[in-house]
Amino acid sequence: MQKDLETKFLLDFETNQNIAHKICRVYTTNQSDHNDLFQEITIQLWKNYPKFRGDAKFSTWMYRVALNTAISLYRKSTRTVKTQDISDFAYKIKSTDYDDTEEIQLKALYKAIHKLNDIDKALIFLYLEDKPYKEISETLGISSVNARVKMNRAKEKLKNILNP
Amino acid sequence: MDLLENYKKAWENQPEENNKFSAVEIYKMAKSRSSSIVKWIFIIGILEFVLLNSLYFVFDMDSAYAEYEKLGLMNFVYCTQILAYIILFYFLGMFYINYKSISTVDSTKKLMKKIVKTRKTVRNYVLFNLGYMALLMFTVMIAEINFNFEDLNIKQILLIILLTFVITLVFLGVLWLFYQLLYGILLKKLYKNHIELAKLDSINS
Repeated sequence: MQKDLETKFLLDFETNQNIAHKICRVYTTNQSDHNDLFQEITIQLWKNYPKFRGDAKFSTWMYRVALNTAISLYRKSTRTVKTQDISDFAYKIKSTDYDDTEEIQLKALYKAIHKLNDIDKALIFLYLEDKPYKEISETLGISSVNARVKMNRAKEKLKNILNP
Repeated sequence: MDLLENYKKAWENQPEENNKFSAVEIYKMAKSRSSSIVKWIFIIGILEFVLLNSLYFVFDMDSAYAEYEKLGLMNFVYCTQILAYIILFYFLGMFYINYKSISTVDSTKKLMKKIVKTRKTVRNYVLFNLGYMALLMFTVMIAEINFNFEDLNIKQILLIILLTFVITLVFLGVLWLFYQLLYGILLKKLYKNHIELAKLDSINS
């Protein structure tokens, strides 16, 4: 049974790992921290996997565990990191069919997100991932009214950073 | 179109991570040891329980007991020690239950609350211990004065009271500062995020 569970977990996580990578990019600014956080997320996912009942989608469940790990369990804080550290951050977005303006936009977006506080980061990340308010409020444990208010504020903050 | 909608499109079109981990690498990571805040709270909490209790082994308790005997405090010491052990086990139990209930599957707010609660259990235990030490010191002081009452003048009595006060304060103060520093460093980020989340909750409630 244990072996089956492990195999299933590895399969689920391997195919969905991009979600965790995106969260790592939002919450860290260099590759070593990225890997560090990714490892902690993996540990937490694995630890909680036996309790994952499959009544929700694996990816939905993963958003919550991974975000919680980044916000509450991971010790390092990105806000103390100097902006120049972002330059050595491996976005690795060199792809032939990739539009140049979007690449620039994406870099600017990450740079702006890094300036937000951890909660706003989560809100913006969930917005960018197109999550419904219901899921956002459940993930963070706040009412959906508050989620909306806070989301609007976070978006305003982000806009001001992007377009001062 | 909204400014953010543009960026959102760029976000949606961002390519997948190049440095993807293989199943073998993920397996290795899953089996590695966590270095999360919760893990540290657990380790530090256990260390605190062990350290505070080993103080009794560090100090020369035989001479202390002889002194208690002389002062007629034996019953008091026995009773408070039994009580202290009951309370120790209560705190250890609470600490373990709180620690175990921490789950990343909970919502962010609930998770943070549980982490803070776990930490508070240890803080309360340390407070209890500091209080207990202070009580013991003052009891011994009063008994000491009482025992030697005929040989002491007012000046000496005041000096003993003052000294006991200062020593107790310094000793407990240093312990408290050390403790604040330790958790301050560990939980600074968590508290900040907790406040941030609570702030938004008070908007409409």
